[in-house]
Amino acid sequence: MIGIANGEDSYKLLKLLQQDSRPLREILADFDSAFPRSLRFPLCTSLYLILEDKIMLSTTERLVAFSILHQTYASHSLSANPFIRFLVNAACDDGAEKFERAFVVQLLESSSGIAKEFFNQSASDYVKGFDPLMHTFPALDQLQQQYFDGAHSESYNCLFKDTKVNNVMPDPDVPSGCDKNSPEFDLLPGTKPKLGSGDRDETIAGLLSNISLEGLGPQWIRPRPPRLPIQDGELVWLIPDNNHELLWDYGMCADTSRGAAVRDLIAKAAKGPLVPAQQEKVMMELANDPKLVYHCGLTPMKLPDLVENNPLIAVEVLTKLINSPEITEYFTVLVTMEMSLHSMEVVNRLTQAVKLPSEFLRLYISNCITSCENIKDKYMQNRLVRLVCVFLQSLIRNNHIDVKEILIEVQAFCINFSRIREAAGLFRLLKTMEG
Amino acid sequence: MESRDLSTAPSPAAAAAAAAAAAPAAATAPPAEDEGVMSVTAALAKEALFRFQARKCGECLEFLHQLLQKKDDDPKVLHNIAVAEYFRDGCSDPRRFLEVLDNVKRKSEELARASLEQVEVVGNVGNKAILGPKGSSTVAQQMNSLNNASILYTDEFDSSVASFNIAVIWFHLREYGKALSILEPLYNNIEPIDETVALHICLLLLDVALACRDAAKSADVLNYLEKAFGVSQGENGSSVQQQSANLVGKLSSVPNSSLISDASNQESSVSINASEKPLSRTLSEETLDYETMLSTLDIGEQDAVRAMGIPSLVDLSRSPIDKTITAVDFKLKLQLYKVRFLLLTGNLKAAKREVKGAMNVARGRDSSMALLLKSQLEYARGNYRKAIKLLMALGVPTEAGISSMFLNNLGCVYHQLVKYPSATVFFSKALCSSSSIRKEKPLKLSSISQDKSLFIAYNCGIHYLACGKPILAARCLQKALLVFYNQPLFWFRLAECCLMALEKGLFKTGDAPDETIKLYVISKGKWRHLAVRDVPENGLTHLIENDCSLGSDGQLNLSLKLARLCLLNALHILNESESSQAHSSLPPDGSLDGTESTEETISGNSNHRTLPGVDAKPSNAGLGQLNANGDVKDQKTGTSQEITSGSLSMYEDNRRRQLRLMKQAILANQAYVELELENPMEALSCALSILQLPDCSRIYTFLAHVYAAEALCLLNRTKDAAEHLSVYMSEANQIELPYGEEDLEQWRMERIFDPEDTNGGILTANNFSSEETQVLMFLKPEEARATLYANLAARSALQGELQTAQQLVAQALAVVPASREATLTAVYVHLMLGNSQEALSKLKQFNHVRFLPFTCTLDKSS
Repeated sequence: MIGIANGEDSYKLLKLLQQDSRPLREILADFDSAFPRSLRFPLCTSLYLILEDKIMLSTTERLVAFSILHQTYASHSLSANPFIRFLVNAACDDGAEKFERAFVVQLLESSSGIAKEFFNQSASDYVKGFDPLMHTFPALDQLQQQYFDGAHSESYNCLFKDTKVNNVMPDPDVPSGCDKNSPEFDLLPGTKPKLGSGDRDETIAGLLSNISLEGLGPQWIRPRPPRLPIQDGELVWLIPDNNHELLWDYGMCADTSRGAAVRDLIAKAAKGPLVPAQQEKVMMELANDPKLVYHCGLTPMKLPDLVENNPLIAVEVLTKLINSPEITEYFTVLVTMEMSLHSMEVVNRLTQAVKLPSEFLRLYISNCITSCENIKDKYMQNRLVRLVCVFLQSLIRNNHIDVKEILIEVQAFCINFSRIREAAGLFRLLKTMEG
Repeated sequence: MESRDLSTAPSPAAAAAAAAAAAPAAATAPPAEDEGVMSVTAALAKEALFRFQARKCGECLEFLHQLLQKKDDDPKVLHNIAVAEYFRDGCSDPRRFLEVLDNVKRKSEELARASLEQVEVVGNVGNKAILGPKGSSTVAQQMNSLNNASILYTDEFDSSVASFNIAVIWFHLREYGKALSILEPLYNNIEPIDETVALHICLLLLDVALACRDAAKSADVLNYLEKAFGVSQGENGSSVQQQSANLVGKLSSVPNSSLISDASNQESSVSINASEKPLSRTLSEETLDYETMLSTLDIGEQDAVRAMGIPSLVDLSRSPIDKTITAVDFKLKLQLYKVRFLLLTGNLKAAKREVKGAMNVARGRDSSMALLLKSQLEYARGNYRKAIKLLMALGVPTEAGISSMFLNNLGCVYHQLVKYPSATVFFSKALCSSSSIRKEKPLKLSSISQDKSLFIAYNCGIHYLACGKPILAARCLQKALLVFYNQPLFWFRLAECCLMALEKGLFKTGDAPDETIKLYVISKGKWRHLAVRDVPENGLTHLIENDCSLGSDGQLNLSLKLARLCLLNALHILNESESSQAHSSLPPDGSLDGTESTEETISGNSNHRTLPGVDAKPSNAGLGQLNANGDVKDQKTGTSQEITSGSLSMYEDNRRRQLRLMKQAILANQAYVELELENPMEALSCALSILQLPDCSRIYTFLAHVYAAEALCLLNRTKDAAEHLSVYMSEANQIELPYGEEDLEQWRMERIFDPEDTNGGILTANNFSSEETQVLMFLKPEEARATLYANLAARSALQGELQTAQQLVAQALAVVPASREATLTAVYVHLMLGNSQEALSKLKQFNHVRFLPFTCTLDKSS
């Protein structure tokens, strides 16, 4: 518990309160020496709360308590005393005993240093020597003006926030129908305790140690988040791992001569046509070792030369490379290389051997058409147009391309070159397909 | 260069010397190849290989060292030496082995790069090399092949085997990330790699992907394996298709001499003949005969028809030539992988079919793996008795590794059966058993990977958490950290341990904040007073001071600060994975306006509804939509790939849903922890982020509102707090239930469900001892409503609206009379209204009130 005295401290404090014949100065000095600074505020708070319940403390005890409340903070200006509002109110409380009010007023005045001898008397001395006629009681607003300093009065208005209440409540245990204030329930020393009687000292000590600084406030329910249910597959089901053993490298000192021969031939093939025997050797070696194609020395850069000089080898190599991640690079080269009979033948054969990506085919056809349109030489143009038409017919007849994808472009091409017989034929073919 | 290039034959003198050296070996060697003269090195390599295959590693190493003298520093020789040494000595020091292999790999790559540079030099010089003598042109040509966008090494510099072996080690050491980083580049460029190595790479990658629970990658590799290695799964688990028959043929024969290549040979020779004359000319040539062109094309078509008779798959198909794998074994292997994949993705129906197929294939062979997977399937379907039966059918294994897995699996089943004491026994036995594995000598890689103690430790942790033993749970989880550190769920569970420890008052300081109200009775008789102690005795200051570092015994100190840390980790990892997923498949979060639209986006995106073989699961965040059996309902058969991709999208949907739920849970726990740590600003921001999540579960929405309201109250913003609490307020000034019974389903799912036991009935909470259910429970809908009433009352009381507060708290207490907080609020309101008699009677009527005597006496102090 935050800052609340334990039972032992409570009794210590209670004993101080009960010393009604000692000079107040000594009692206050004892208070200072008995309790560490950190404990003083909580104890004062408890005192203040007990003082509010007028029947708990005897008259002298109350006076001692008041002086403790006042003197504990005497080193600061009076307006900084956390209990100043309470003290001022006590001084003006019409329901309180006159001597108590006078005592508090004197306490308040003592801070200006007038009455040093005031603390030399004991509490009971004060009560005995009290003469009500000697005292005037200042009005509440006058005191408030005097002792409240705007900055602090609000925050120390009440120790508790407005929203808290005292967490200790009286619960007198007396037979029903009896007046709990009746003196018959007081515990008299030496007599046997009877039903309904109790020990006031014990109560005060209990109160001192149980009053909570925070008081009692409304309580918020803070539900705990639910534990997340075990997720699917969260509990690990174990099965033995597959045993992956280390592999021997069979490539150690392997014979690579045949591969070298093919590489040699492929290099030659890029320079000029191979003789049939050489072609056959390349084809055979490529067929024998499916991996050879990756090591045969062909690169996309060299593809155009290979296509021009040895279209069939180009087809064979490309067919085998179809699953290689590089194939798109080869295709790009093929599309963008200069149009020729051989490139057309390679594409045509490829369409028969593998499934070519349709965007590649479309691009190639557009390329063909553009080439036809760009040739200046009429004779050469006619030849190329015828060739393209034959190529397109072949593609269409064999369903290697979806006519719809190229329809508009090819139709325009046919109309453009309608003077050429093959173009007219292609146009008719398109019409029949449309129908 | 010459020493490596085998096309340059050794000098006659060297050959003679080599022959002499090889003579003793030749006596025992099998007949030499038909090539006649073999180079010395090739002969030595062959000898070494034979010894290796016979597992005579000592002799093998002798040959290898001879070879090393001939080919100084040849990476492949060094590599094989390392492999042979491993098989001779076991693998006591995998790190050193990795170092050797890394060196080999680096050397190979350096050689390749060096020759690449040489090519560039050659290129600069001009065409000289190519025009030069044959030998050098060969070299140049060979180098040219490297001059390529993605460097394709020639066989000589190929380091794929070394890379694979490195990955194998990482795999066994469970460093899956490292294994992946090696395997993926290999897989992405797998075509040029030798068949055997390629197959091993694929299988290893598949194992790694499955171990990482990466369904997408697993599906990809699985599809590739089926396509490339020619086994197509029969749809009904029965028909072995033509390809696999082919495979058998291929396996028994020498590779690459199959019909297919013959056919293509024929084709090409035909084409050559047909096309030679007309087509070998360029356009500019005069004689271009269109008829010939046309006919050529036609011939081409005929060829094409033939070519097309061969399914296109064949082009991809590889023939596994690994002598260690027979066709049927391979088929079984693949089918088991498939089952594992389907189990991972939760496509249990398909998994069931595949398991059946696998059992058929495995008949008469080692079917233990198939049985184990079948048991896992039944476990996943919730048929726990059957799962146990299948496990038992395997027989109690004697080998430590297998036995620990067996015990662990039993532990899982008993845990799901909520037989917690038995589960505890099985899990701890499993741990004992697995700890003995590493003591074996010599240590094999396979036995390292058989040690699954980290996984068992995780299971143990989760189990203890469910049993309500947070400290034991945290200890187990701490052990599992090594494998699970990158899983958000792991960190979340650790945080749950902390929160449970808080709940149970197991922090090193203080008691549990309990549900009772402590009343101190002071004195007696007419002086009797009652003091309410509502501040927990273990004031929060202690909790906050509690450091989250390791204790002196190396164990984690559970604390709220540790919980906060774990939750931050979990959230961080989760967000990372989300952002990495974001650009793959997630729909943009733009459509926050409602569940429906989001649902449409998701299902539209993955369009898995159209896929056969997968049932369309509702993809909204509604919890517990899973059919209790986990089965998918309408099961049309589809091709194997359709099933794979269907399972994949189903898995991804489920996973997304799981991650969404986890995010809500993490944030809710964060908000709670921050409130406990008296940090309302943070708590508020967590709670508000829950409310911003799309498709938030109604339970977490409720919690978010409650936490946000409390945080706002603590920040003195009671008005804003009221808004959060009154979202559930109907027009009639009544609070509606914040969620329904159906929202709680998921928290009930984990309860026992054993159709064979109970005819499909779900046992109610009453069947459990209170301790077991306690940790599973969450507020019932009415209790949640009462919470809202109570908190609204508290807020009104703070505002000084005492009459309202009194009404509200009465409504709360009508449902939850046992609520300590609501009772205290009621007491407060009565006291504020000056009605202390009522307040006293409220306190005294409270069920969980504890009267404590105030004991300190005067005598004691004096």
